[in-house]
Amino acid sequence: MNSAMVKSNARKSKASRFAKTFVIRFAFYFLLCALSFIFLYPFISMIVKSLMTEDDLVNITVKWLPSRATWSNYSIAFRRMGFRRYVWNNVLVCAVGTLGHVISCALTGYAFARYRFRLKNILFVVVILMMIVPVQVIIFPLYKQYSDWKWLNTFMPLLVPTFFGFGLNGGFFIFLFRQFFMGLPYEMEEAARVDGCGPLRTYARIMLPMAQAPMLVCCVLSMVWHWNDYFEPTIYMSGKPDYRMLPSVLPSLYDLLNKENHTMIQVNELEGIIFNEAMLMAATFLCIIPIMIAYLILQRRFMEGVERSGLTGM
Amino acid sequence: MTVKSMPLPKQKRRMGIDRKRSLEAYIFLIPWLVGVCLFFAYPIFVSIRLAFSDIVEFKGLKTAWVGLENYQYIFFYDIKFVPTFLQVIYDTLLNTPLCIVFSLVIAILINRKMVGRGFFRTAFFIPVLLGTGYIMKQLLGMGVDGTTITTGIMVPKLIAELLGASITEVVQGFLDRITLVLWKSGVQIVLFLAGLQGISGSLYEAARVDGATEWEMFWKITLPMISPVIMMNVIYTIVAFFTDGTNPMVDYIYKMNFTNQQYEYAAAMSWLYFIFALVICLLCILLMRRHIYDSGSKS
Repeated sequence: MNSAMVKSNARKSKASRFAKTFVIRFAFYFLLCALSFIFLYPFISMIVKSLMTEDDLVNITVKWLPSRATWSNYSIAFRRMGFRRYVWNNVLVCAVGTLGHVISCALTGYAFARYRFRLKNILFVVVILMMIVPVQVIIFPLYKQYSDWKWLNTFMPLLVPTFFGFGLNGGFFIFLFRQFFMGLPYEMEEAARVDGCGPLRTYARIMLPMAQAPMLVCCVLSMVWHWNDYFEPTIYMSGKPDYRMLPSVLPSLYDLLNKENHTMIQVNELEGIIFNEAMLMAATFLCIIPIMIAYLILQRRFMEGVERSGLTGM
Repeated sequence: MTVKSMPLPKQKRRMGIDRKRSLEAYIFLIPWLVGVCLFFAYPIFVSIRLAFSDIVEFKGLKTAWVGLENYQYIFFYDIKFVPTFLQVIYDTLLNTPLCIVFSLVIAILINRKMVGRGFFRTAFFIPVLLGTGYIMKQLLGMGVDGTTITTGIMVPKLIAELLGASITEVVQGFLDRITLVLWKSGVQIVLFLAGLQGISGSLYEAARVDGATEWEMFWKITLPMISPVIMMNVIYTIVAFFTDGTNPMVDYIYKMNFTNQQYEYAAAMSWLYFIFALVICLLCILLMRRHIYDSGSKS
């Protein structure tokens, strides 16, 4: 009888524990789903809106599901924003800018991590300042400088600074590489030096191949930031439409709609097409599709890279 | 005798090596140093000079020293600067802690083993891909008859009726703010995730053997171990909020520069703005430094 009681007690507690873990589990997934809904909200609503017809846009009963998907929005947006013309500008700036960042920031980060030299602390303060001084503070002198150098309306102001460790968030990338190189054992270079390997060769042949993790992180972040950046491109490229980038094409499209007293539909007589909010959303989505595909491919390795790059070791 | 004379040449040689190493370092730094001069130090110098002067001739940027006149104008004549500035400070002070807390919670949630981990990890990075700049700004301000996209997360009607209008407004404002903050915390979540991965599992194991609960483990292990990342994220978040394209102050400075073309005035404003950001960052570092766990492995 005694043993039976113990048994039933045990079963009871087992059942209650199961219920408890189940409830916790459920709450956990519910919370995660709710949070990811918030995160995905602008994204989902963008896609949904981009598929709506004109009738759906004005119909308040249609919030999430368009009555039928209209793909023509995309083809109109594609033509209207000159996607084929501008996307190559974006690809070019992204590719070259990222390359510049990887080369120059790895070099600088390496010097800061592995060498002791005079003025090191002062120069490192400069790196920190690079991270904190917003580009808005020095935008006018830069603009003036580039216009004196006849660099306006070319890609030079966006690309050349990246090869010197500047450009978009250059300080952050230098810091990233420094953190990684600081974590490596010193025996590597000592062994190389004993074997008669020069400093540059040690760097290129031994240290750099080990830095794949921070290089990948640098690549992904630099790519994403370059792709989305619109502040500097709109300033430097204002003169020549041929050199515009996708994010700076969007404002003109948005202005088309916003100016007309928030009307949703605007007829462009010149081209004989109707341009509405749905097409705007389609254009916005088109704008980020390439970078999204690139990120989805690199996603897993990017996360591993962040973990391995020692960025969080401070 | 030979023993005594040994240390001297050795020391001399080491100094030589030091100098050589120092030279090597500068070889590595050459491109960056050139960049500092061209793209950083000189523009900063020009910008500081502008902040205290008046442009006499635009070509060649000839300026005349006027001292603090620009700043006088900011504080005594410009009716827009001070309110905007206060608004930005208020937003930053409120958003930064929210951002840090939420991204830490999310990072802890998606750090465990579970179904659909890859999906969640991607989902939380999507806003970063959407663009921190213009696209986001427009998506937020988008919409007909003044409704923004944030109205997607509304206070349910029943609760709204129970609470009354004024409280509902506060709650709704808070929800809107959280949504906005969450969309800007992709990078922070990734950094926290990396930090959590870096904590050795044996610590948790030892704690579990000693009978610690999850709650205790969070406060006694996770939080101290992750404190350097918190510090870094705080700085990153403050800077990101201050320089964000959706920030009204940044917008104002931009307009002053390129629409009104009052470059001296814009420079003065942006320096004031930047110095304030710097002071906030330094304050955070000073306040947090004592509570940061130092593993002692790195400088």
